[in-house]
Amino acid sequence: MNFDINNTINDMLAAIKGTVSDHWEHVKETAMQFLQNEKERLEMIAQLRISGDLNQEDFESRLKDSQKIMEAELEALAVLSKAIIQKAANAAIDVLSKAVKAALPI
Amino acid sequence: MIRQITSQLKPWTYLPLILLFIISSCKVNLIATYNAEVSAEIQTLAKTVDRFYLNMLDNTYEANNGRAFKNFTNDYVNIEVDLNALYLKNKIRPLNENSTKICKTTLDLFKKYKAEHKTKNTLSDGLIKLNRKTFSDLFYAMQVAEDAKKIISNSSTNN
Repeated sequence: MNFDINNTINDMLAAIKGTVSDHWEHVKETAMQFLQNEKERLEMIAQLRISGDLNQEDFESRLKDSQKIMEAELEALAVLSKAIIQKAANAAIDVLSKAVKAALPI
Repeated sequence: MIRQITSQLKPWTYLPLILLFIISSCKVNLIATYNAEVSAEIQTLAKTVDRFYLNMLDNTYEANNGRAFKNFTNDYVNIEVDLNALYLKNKIRPLNENSTKICKTTLDLFKKYKAEHKTKNTLSDGLIKLNRKTFSDLFYAMQVAEDAKKIISNSSTNN
């Protein structure tokens, strides 16, 4: 049986790193887009308060809504992160599985 | 025959096989699988809501009472029904809490803004634009969450 745990761990780490770096740009771009959307929406809310379209009560209500939208955007980022973690973890498990299979005396 | 073969096997022969079986069957599952039908529904609904507000903005006016709530009741009902259906579809999918929450927020805010329109019986251009932007941002978040599931679908086909 030829099974080197250190090599296997290194290969598993490389698989995790590769998967995360492949998708990191996508997470960054999405987070930036969410921030841009937030900025535009908050600007609109402020303008509507200044123009009088929103009274103080409605203005505060819209700010609370914005907080809920921000939470929804964080939920979307959570799905993105979970997807990457799942793919990375399974890639690492796959490496371990292959290493054990190769070391089997059959 | 099988008994003969198993009796000839030594424990150290089949123990690694069991270990391999355990490792091979061990897969991490954190989110629901990608659903192309749901993704298409999100796009369709996003377009419907966008058309609804754009139509209100460009084809009706506050001055002649063109934005009275009764003029939009049917559209409000149809969109709320579709949003509710999408919410339920998301809710029954296992490991789909995040997408369900986004959908719930969208549904809640749509109902809230509908009630506001009903109470005031009109909507200013500014508020229509803000509502349009709000739902555009929420549908974008919903789409990001659904599309993210493609990452794991791609990995399972690769493995």
